[in-house]
Amino acid sequence: MTELATMEFHPQPRPGEAKPWAFPAPERGTLDNGLTLLLCHRPGQQVVAVEILLDAPLEAEPQGQEGVATLMARAFSEGTDKHSAEEFAAELERCGATLDAHADHPGVRLSLEVPVSRLAKALGLLADALRAPAFDDGEIERLVRNRLDEIPHETANPARRAAKELSRQLFPADSRMSRPRQGTEESVSTIDSAAVRAFYERHVRPATATAVVVGDLTGLDLDALLADTLGAWTGAPGQPRPVPPVTADDTGRVIVVDRPGAVQTQLLIGRVGADRHDRVWPAQVLGTYCLGGTLTSRLDRVLREEKGYTYGVRAFAQVLRSAPDGSGAAMLAISGSVDTPNTGPALDDLWKVLRTLAAEGLTDAERDVAVQNLVGVAPLKFETAAAVASSLADQVEQHLPDDYQATLYQQLAATGTVEATAAVVNAFPGDRLVTVLVGDAEQIVEPVRALGIGEVTVVAAE
Amino acid sequence: MPMGHTATAEAGSGGLTATEHRLANGLRVVLSEDHLTPVAAVCLWYDVGSRHEVEGRTGLAHLFEHLMFQGSGQVKGNGHFELVQGAGGSLNGTTSFERTNYFETMPAHQLELALWLEADRMGSLLAALDEESMENQRDVVKNERRQRYDNVPYGTAFERLTALAYPEGHPYHHTPIGSMADLDAATLEDARAFFRTYYAPNNAVLSIVGDIDPEQTLAWVEKYFGSIASHDGKPAPRDGALPDVIGGELREVVEEEVPARALMAAYRLPEDGTRAADAADLALTVLGGGESSRLYNRLVRRDRTAVAAGFGLLRLAGAPSLGWLDVKTSGDVEVPVIETAVDEELARFAEEGPTAEEMERAQAQLEREWLDRLGTVAGRADELCRYAVLFGDPQLALTAVRRVLEVTPEEVRDVARARLRPDNRAVLVYEPVAPEAAEATDEAAEATDENEESAK
Repeated sequence: MTELATMEFHPQPRPGEAKPWAFPAPERGTLDNGLTLLLCHRPGQQVVAVEILLDAPLEAEPQGQEGVATLMARAFSEGTDKHSAEEFAAELERCGATLDAHADHPGVRLSLEVPVSRLAKALGLLADALRAPAFDDGEIERLVRNRLDEIPHETANPARRAAKELSRQLFPADSRMSRPRQGTEESVSTIDSAAVRAFYERHVRPATATAVVVGDLTGLDLDALLADTLGAWTGAPGQPRPVPPVTADDTGRVIVVDRPGAVQTQLLIGRVGADRHDRVWPAQVLGTYCLGGTLTSRLDRVLREEKGYTYGVRAFAQVLRSAPDGSGAAMLAISGSVDTPNTGPALDDLWKVLRTLAAEGLTDAERDVAVQNLVGVAPLKFETAAAVASSLADQVEQHLPDDYQATLYQQLAATGTVEATAAVVNAFPGDRLVTVLVGDAEQIVEPVRALGIGEVTVVAAE
Repeated sequence: MPMGHTATAEAGSGGLTATEHRLANGLRVVLSEDHLTPVAAVCLWYDVGSRHEVEGRTGLAHLFEHLMFQGSGQVKGNGHFELVQGAGGSLNGTTSFERTNYFETMPAHQLELALWLEADRMGSLLAALDEESMENQRDVVKNERRQRYDNVPYGTAFERLTALAYPEGHPYHHTPIGSMADLDAATLEDARAFFRTYYAPNNAVLSIVGDIDPEQTLAWVEKYFGSIASHDGKPAPRDGALPDVIGGELREVVEEEVPARALMAAYRLPEDGTRAADAADLALTVLGGGESSRLYNRLVRRDRTAVAAGFGLLRLAGAPSLGWLDVKTSGDVEVPVIETAVDEELARFAEEGPTAEEMERAQAQLEREWLDRLGTVAGRADELCRYAVLFGDPQLALTAVRRVLEVTPEEVRDVARARLRPDNRAVLVYEPVAPEAAEATDEAAEATDENEESAK
C-alpha cells in the first residue's frame, strides 16, 4: 500500500534490564494513647496521604439505624470543639487538603491528602475531628436530610441500583451485608445527633484505631508532630470486635430490575468467594484477570472486540470483610452494560465464555501475559503516596501482615496455568451465579429466560 | 542530536525540568527526567479534536481514536493493548474538543516498546485499518455513548449545555462523543481521510517523562519516528472566537425522568492560557469549589435547598472556556429559589471580590491540584504536551502553579464582574416527570461533567 512507502520499519525492540522495585515496607509504631502507626517515606511525593482506620464496622450499627456509621464518618468534617462546621471546612481547604470519610463493612476510614508543607496543620484538624467532633444537632439533621436526598439519585443510577439488588439477593435478610451500606430511607430517617454520638462513643477510640502516613517525610519531626496531634486523642482501652461469618445464597438465578425504556441493560453477576487469607487468592487474581481484567481478556475479546455489544465488561474480586481466622469473604463479580436488543445474545456469549474456560482451561500464553501485567504494573500503580497508603490501610483492615502485598507479587509469579484455571473456574461456576439485570423487562425477560441460566424474576426499580 | 534547552529548573517549577527537541519531520519531543521510581511515561498529543470535525461527521475524531487501537503495520489486532499490558504497562487514549492523546506508562526498561508502538501506528495505521474493525468499534462507541450519556440520569446535560453555549455552526457546538446518526454515517473512507489529514509527525507532540536516559531516548525517537513523512494540508479548524459575553441568557428546560430538579449553567469565560482564565478558575473555586465555597455554604449548609452545589472550569484554548454550575435540588425545592440565591451570591461576589482568606483557600486548593497532576510521570507528560500543543511552550506546564499564585484578588473580582452575569450564561433546567410521560419524548438523557472520551 502506498501509505506504507515512506516509513522505515524496525523489529519489535527487546526490553532492557528490569530495575528492582519492591512494595514499600512500612515502619510500625504505637502512640501512648494506643493508636497504631504505619509510616512510609516515599521520596518526592509532596502530597502526603494519611489514612485513619476505625474499628466501627457496619454490623456494629444498631438494628434499624443502618447509615449511622456513614453519618458519623461525614460528621467528622462538620465541626469540632474549636471550629464550627463552616470554619472546619474552610481551615482544611486553607491547607490545600482534602478529607474524605466513608463507612464500609470492615470499618470507617478517613483519608486525608495534603501538601507536606501544611501537614502539621491538617493533622491537627484531623486529630480534633477524631478527638472532639461537635456532632451538632443542626448539622446532623442537615446530613440526614442530605443523605435522604441522595437515595433517589442512587436508585436512578443503573450501576448503583444493580449493586444494591445483588447484596439484597446474596445475603440473608438479617445480615448487615444484605442492606445498603449507607442505609435506607427508613433507617436514615431515624438517626439524630444522639445516635451518632452513641455510635462514636461506643466504637471510636485510639486503642482500636490505626493511622497510616505516607509521603516525602524528609526533614519532618514526625514523632513530635504525631504526639502533638493524633497523640492528644484519648479514649478507653478496647478490644477488637469479633468478625461475624459471611454466608450467601448463590443459587443460580436472574433478577430483572425493571427500567422501562432503558437503552442498555446493566449487568452484575456475582457470588461470594475467597478473600486474601485463602491460599487460592493469587491464583484467583490471575484467573479473574484472564477472564475479565482488561479489554484483551476473554470476556471483552468476545463481547466488545468481536461483537461490539458493550463498551466493556469486567470480572473482579473485591474483599467484603476479612477476619483474622481467615473466615472472611470477597465479592466475585462480572459487571458491565450491553445494549438492550443484544442483552440475550450477550449473556449467551458470556456463559459460553465461562463454559469454554471450564472445559478447556487457560493457555500458558494467557497466564504469562497476565502475570507480566499484574506484577509489572506494580511500580506504576504505587507511584503516589495515596496509592501506597490505601494499600497499607487495606492490609491492616483485612488483618494481613505488612509485607502481604510484597509477598503477593512473588506468589503471582509462582502461580501456574493449572492453578489459575482451577481458581477462576471455581470462582465463577456457571450454575452458581446470581445475575442482576437493570433494564427494560419487557424487552429482555423472554430472551434471558430462554438461556436457561436460572429462574427469572422481575422486580420494580422503585 | 543536540539538546534543546538546558535542563535547569526555573523558580516555581518544584525542581522539575524539561528539554525540547524537534525531528526533521517536524515531530516535537519533550523530555523530563525523574529517577525516583523506575517508570517512564510516553504521551503523544495530536493536534486534532472534535472542533476539527465537519457537519454530519460529529464523533469521528473519537471513533478514530478507537481505531488507533485496532492494529497497525507491524502490530496485529489488539496488539497495542496486549504488548503494553504484557510488558507491565498501562495505556489509553482520549479525545476532547481540542486534541487527541495517547499514552503509555511503562516500567522504565520497557520504554522502547512504547515508542516503537506509537511510531508504528503514526506511520502505518492504514495498513491494518479495515471494514471489520470499523464496524466493531462503531458499535463499541455507540455503547460507550449509551453507557455514559443516554442511560444515566442527566447524562446528556453536558451535550445540551455545550450546544446552547456555543452557537450553531461553532466548532465547539457539539461534543466529542458525537451523535448516533453521525456515528452510523461515518465510513471507512472518512476514517482513512481523517488519518491522512491529521495524523502526521508535524501535527503532534511526544513527551517522555520519568526514569529515562535522555540521549538514548532521543536516539530511539529518531530511530522509530524519524522516517515517518511529514505532510501538510491540515485545514485550520473553524474559528472559535466569540464575543466576551453572550449578551443575553440562553435557556432550555428539560422534562425527563430524573430523580430531582436540577439547575445547570455554563458561563462564557476567558480562553485558557491567559491570566484572566487563572483568575476565573480562582473565582469559581471561591464560589463553588469544595465544601467551604460560597454556594455550598449558602445552598447546602444554610438554605438547605440543594443536595450538591458546585462550580467547575472547562478550560479551552481555541474558544471561550466555560464555567460550569451544577446544583441538584433538595426535596421539593423549586428551581427559581436556587436561581435567585445563585444570582445573589454572584452579584455580591462581583461587588466585593474574594476575602483574603478565600483567596488563600482557593490558591491552596489549586496548588494541591497541580501538585497531584505533576506528581505522577503520566500527569506530567500530559501537561507538557498540553502546553506544547495549545500554547507552543511545554515549559509553561512547570510554572503554571506559580502563575495561579500570582493572581490578585482584584483580578478575581474583575473577571467575576465582567463574566459571571445572568446575561452571559446558558441555563439548563431539569424538571422530573413520571416514567410514562418521559417515554413520550424520544430522547433519553443524562449528566456527566466529562469532556473526554477514552478508548477503554
